[in-house]
Amino acid sequence: MKKLLLILSILFCFNLTQAQETFIVNGTHHKIHNYYAFTNATIFIDYQTKIENATLLIKDGKIEAVGNKVEVPGNTVIHNLEGKYLYPSLIDIYSDYGMPVGVKKGSAGHGAHAAKGTAKKGAYNWNKAIRPEVDASQLFLVNEKKAAQLRKLGFGVVLTHQQDGIMRGTSALVTLGDDQANAVLLAANVTNQLAFNKGTSTDNYPGSLMGMIALIKQTYYDVDWLFNNKEVDEFNISLNTIIENWKLPQIFEANDKLSILRADKIGDEFEMQYIFKGSGNEYQRIKEIKATEGKLIIPLNFPKAYDVEDPYDALKVNYSSLKHWESAPYNLGIVAQNEIDFAITASDLKDKKMFLKNLRKAVKSGLSESAALKALTYNPAQFIGKYDKIGSLEKGKMANFIITSDNIFNEKSKIHENWVRGKQHVISNYRLTNVTGNYDLNIAGTIYQLAVTGSPEKPVGNIALITGKDTTKIKVDIVVKGKAINVNFNPNDTFQKGTVRLAGNISSNGGIWDGNGHLSNGEWIKWSAIKGKKEAKKEKKAVVAKTDSLVVPKTQYPNMAYGLDSITTAKTTIIKGATVWTNEAEGILTNTDVLLKNGKIALIGKGLAAEGAQIIDGTNKHLTTGIIDEHSHIAISRGVNECTQAVTAEVSISDVINSDDINIYRQLAGGVTACHLLHGSCNPVGGQSAIIKLRWGSSPEEMKIKNTPGFIKFALGENVKRAGGTSRFPQTRMGVEQVYYDAFVRAKEYQAKWDAFAALSEKERANVPAPRIDLELETMNEIMNKERFISCHSYQQGEINMLMHVADSMGFTVNTFTHILEGYKVADKMKKHGAGGSTFSDWWAYKFEVNDAIPYNGAIMHKQGVVTAFNSDDAEMGRRLNQEAAKAVKYGGVSEEEAWKFVTLNPAKLLHLDNRMGSIKIGKDADVVLWSDNPLSIYATVEKTIIDGKVYFDIETEAAKQKANATEKARIVEKMIVAKKGGAKTQKATSKKPKLYHCDTVGE
Amino acid sequence: MKNAFLILFIGAFITASAQIETPGPKQTKKIMLLNGIAHLGNGEVIKNSAISIIDGKFEIVANAATIKIDFKQFDTVIELRGQHVYPGIIAPNSTLGLTEIGAVRMTSDYAEYGMFNPHVRSIIAYNTESKITTTVRSNGVLLGQITPRGGQIAGTSSVVEFDAWNWEDAVYKENDGVHMGWPKTRHQWTGKKNEKFDKEVAQLNDFFANALAYSKVTDNAEKNFRFEAMRGVFNGEQTLFVHANFIKEITEAILLSKKYAVKKLVIVGGYDAWMVADMLKENKVSVMLKRVHSLPERQEDDVYLPYKLPKKLLDAGVFFCLENSGDMEAMGTRNLPFYAGTAAAYGIDKEEALKLITLNTATILGIDKTVGSIESGKDATFFISTGDALDMRTNNVTSAYIQGREMDVDNHQKKLYRKYSGKYENQ
Repeated sequence: MKKLLLILSILFCFNLTQAQETFIVNGTHHKIHNYYAFTNATIFIDYQTKIENATLLIKDGKIEAVGNKVEVPGNTVIHNLEGKYLYPSLIDIYSDYGMPVGVKKGSAGHGAHAAKGTAKKGAYNWNKAIRPEVDASQLFLVNEKKAAQLRKLGFGVVLTHQQDGIMRGTSALVTLGDDQANAVLLAANVTNQLAFNKGTSTDNYPGSLMGMIALIKQTYYDVDWLFNNKEVDEFNISLNTIIENWKLPQIFEANDKLSILRADKIGDEFEMQYIFKGSGNEYQRIKEIKATEGKLIIPLNFPKAYDVEDPYDALKVNYSSLKHWESAPYNLGIVAQNEIDFAITASDLKDKKMFLKNLRKAVKSGLSESAALKALTYNPAQFIGKYDKIGSLEKGKMANFIITSDNIFNEKSKIHENWVRGKQHVISNYRLTNVTGNYDLNIAGTIYQLAVTGSPEKPVGNIALITGKDTTKIKVDIVVKGKAINVNFNPNDTFQKGTVRLAGNISSNGGIWDGNGHLSNGEWIKWSAIKGKKEAKKEKKAVVAKTDSLVVPKTQYPNMAYGLDSITTAKTTIIKGATVWTNEAEGILTNTDVLLKNGKIALIGKGLAAEGAQIIDGTNKHLTTGIIDEHSHIAISRGVNECTQAVTAEVSISDVINSDDINIYRQLAGGVTACHLLHGSCNPVGGQSAIIKLRWGSSPEEMKIKNTPGFIKFALGENVKRAGGTSRFPQTRMGVEQVYYDAFVRAKEYQAKWDAFAALSEKERANVPAPRIDLELETMNEIMNKERFISCHSYQQGEINMLMHVADSMGFTVNTFTHILEGYKVADKMKKHGAGGSTFSDWWAYKFEVNDAIPYNGAIMHKQGVVTAFNSDDAEMGRRLNQEAAKAVKYGGVSEEEAWKFVTLNPAKLLHLDNRMGSIKIGKDADVVLWSDNPLSIYATVEKTIIDGKVYFDIETEAAKQKANATEKARIVEKMIVAKKGGAKTQKATSKKPKLYHCDTVGE
Repeated sequence: MKNAFLILFIGAFITASAQIETPGPKQTKKIMLLNGIAHLGNGEVIKNSAISIIDGKFEIVANAATIKIDFKQFDTVIELRGQHVYPGIIAPNSTLGLTEIGAVRMTSDYAEYGMFNPHVRSIIAYNTESKITTTVRSNGVLLGQITPRGGQIAGTSSVVEFDAWNWEDAVYKENDGVHMGWPKTRHQWTGKKNEKFDKEVAQLNDFFANALAYSKVTDNAEKNFRFEAMRGVFNGEQTLFVHANFIKEITEAILLSKKYAVKKLVIVGGYDAWMVADMLKENKVSVMLKRVHSLPERQEDDVYLPYKLPKKLLDAGVFFCLENSGDMEAMGTRNLPFYAGTAAAYGIDKEEALKLITLNTATILGIDKTVGSIESGKDATFFISTGDALDMRTNNVTSAYIQGREMDVDNHQKKLYRKYSGKYENQ
């Protein structure tokens, strides 16, 4: 993409004086320009500089001086902070403080598709989830209640934005003061905000995560087009705003470790480095996240423990939920250890009171105090370019600080005061005289033993009256206000039958109270109370908390059951004496050795040897190439269908691969080594697909097979007709044909525009706007240019013929008809056209259009020379594709050798991977499976699944893995029970069952 | 054709016809099946078997080498030459004949409106002309328990034979049991917690308490059809089938059945049943085990757990059979033999696996006195396959009989196969 030369527009500048300068004053002006000094404190000037016994001097909301030798001018109000701590106040740069909550206004309903233009009124973007023009500063209202809540946590300044939509507009920097908005708002348009979340948009598009990604990309291309072509006929406020704000820091709410990687990929394409708002599970892919070079904003929302005392209930909590519960507090420590710059946010915390608790928990779990402080002061300020004003207590900076009773990371430390821009907000008054203790209360000569307990804020008094053998306790009300004290009680004894009301003053640091009292008989008396000698306090031996050397819970890859402790490595391997199904001219070789080296099949023969090779005994076993599932929907995040438009060629499954799907491991256990992950069958032109090897434990990017041609899903028939409600075109097979012609012809015309533009001389080009890049049409052209191949969901012969006609007329070949349950009716035509068929072995009767589906379909297509495969479209069937292949033997009598190719070599051919996969041939990828028996037999079980020479599934280690699963689960359950007994909050045992996608699954 | 040997070669006879499959006529001729490998369904195998079929029943079931056979007695002697003979496979908890095309609502008749419908009877909705059934019986599945679904109490099932002119002909055991779904702790599709769970359990208890009270008298002033339909469950004439997979649901279902003195309880599903084997045995509760070909329910479960559940239940001594409900269930019924095959692949004996889809199923359905195995005196309901019927690689059903009536094993799909094979051959 062409580099954008954009101008940073600063609409508001910092204004550190009271902003009401411009306002009219009612009556006499009252301006205070005194100094305030905070003396004798332990002061953190910044996250790493602590000075003892120091003074902070402020004036007019700014810091004048800080240090051990601060000269205090005459007009200074002095606060003695002996024993107290003083920190720069905390900064949260991911907040929606003071923002109106977005309201969804009606639904677009079925058929009200984005394409119809449901955008908000005015010259804005066509899609309502793209709202970069939203300016938080213009929406901001002071919300004293919420400000107070945040001040209690120690925050002084927050960066706020309206958390609604995919492109959300800009943020505003505000203090948590209670003044007029003008005095609270510090800066507008500080950062630009994005998220993978449609928010209140009523547009149907995008209906999936991959749709959101495509929309962001297309919007950036539109911005580029607008920026580089001044003469275009469109005025678009939204896109113009993106241009204006291009150079601002960009914060992307990704909310999952994998989505951080997804967002970063978008950024890479457009030379944009985002700051990522994460979710707290970054530790699970820390290496990849580090590699993004993005800064992070991380919440402190640790999951609650589950109620697992009932062992039956405990079964409901899945392994990964337990693991994450245990590991979540360690996340920040791990992020810090990996030297990733991060800020901490209180967002995502439903119970804000958990903020400091969780922060301290993180510190106990490996996050250093200085790193924690840095993540709440320096980093957030620095991320948004405001460290010159906030984030530390240096001269000239804003007087935002908190006073605490102790080191803020100590469990018992309290925040006493939060000063915002030089204005005091008391949270817990440290100036209160502590009157707790035991006193001799002398009321006109009568002595009572008064015991005061409770807290300085709420003292509780009791007098023990001894009459004979009985002791009665009398409650005494004590109210302390500054140095004044009131004591009320009714002794009901020989001295007094009514209430004694005493008023007085406190002196000697709380040790002596005295004053006048009024008895119930109306008599005034003198009274005093003198604190008794301190009881010899039991020498509490400072229990040196056993600081166990920090044990960070082990992260598995992925962090779930069967996850790996470390990434699998390839070893030189010889499988000895197996029956080898080569899928080549050699056929099935008995008693044969196969050498795997450097991830490839190196030799096939007898008596093979290689230095240092591990030997796998293949005697009486069968070795085959790995199964390739041509049609799978496993390992996909947040939606397999972008249903919302008839043509969505711009979206791609490769953007949303989910490496954390347990079904990856389960497919490995069924001998599957590669899968073609397809978009669903909602629309005539679906999205682009991804081809992965099941490299369990790897990241999504590492799972992708590199350098493969692109593929795309098309779909015909009932799913296309019924999806998207009753008013999306097409509703009939007739309409489907026209959608195709329209899409391809538009793509051709689009290409023609570009060609014409390219033919212009440079000079001519300068005067003509360039065509706009259209990702959808670019993809359609890839198909016509034979750079991308179609796998088309199809059932009935009529529409199959139709698509072949469309393809013929556009000069390309339909690569694969997938499902193709009536392929047997048109196998000759498919053969002639050059299309392959990837079908189900025996599914039928689930829709009207599969009424004529027959299990002999594969056999007939194969016999007619069509490259034929069996696929699953189903996570369950996907791991039994060997059995499905056997059905080609049963139904139609295909030879065993050929039937086996239906799930190996033939799908490799259909995916254009047969040059490196799909058979046991020297030089091909070492993707092999060792079976206990003939792989087509139902009695065959998988013994080893090897990809690139690495063993990913091994029946021999399964028992140990299951045991490890059970042990690990039991260990964490035990920990959870202890945590609950220790007062941790819990939730009911439950786990969300992950959704299984099929072709026709709509929604995320 | 007395005294004639009718020699059948492997896969040699396809009764190719364009007609719709017609129910076979009543057996009139005496048949002797010779030298087949007979898998009796009770765990035994007779390698060179002699099996006679007279008036729809098995008579001789023996080793051909050890008995003297008077061939003159038979009208037809079929030389099987090592082909395999199996008792008809039984599909319990099936919606066959109640649904034709999954996505077409109007072809579905298995789920009635409302939560408590013990009185709705599957049998009258059972469609003997279902095209699906013909593809199912072509793989050796010859009987089924046709079962309503949905609600808390779905309705009453009946057992049928898969070759009949109409449902009255098809009935093998009418109204064999009432089917109840234990309230789900989470929603099937969304995975979200079921907030109404406690309320639903309370409603069930309330229903059972009232149904039981109602059943104590016969001259109820006002007839309540729902409660009438529950009488059999309390007096032992019918079985209560509770569909439940997880440990808590299973144990709660057992406790409920005890509380209301339910005579016969069967757990359908039973994913966690092996964990409460003792409780099941103690209360004589048997299990129809959920589809073997399914995914584990929990992330950390053994990846092969559904394949291994038969072995676990067998080892634990729980009496059980295999069922097939779930996605694509009607058409998938034809894969029932392969579920047994997978059970065998994962640890149990093949003949033991066969019991799980034949004699054990018959026993749980209460029809084992007359069907479910190849034993003298039982119905001659069986099929012949050229190879091991539990393995798709070798399963090839050449003929099938229900009560001695030879069935047409052709179907819509085979016809299309022939039609289009012919198209290409003639091109």
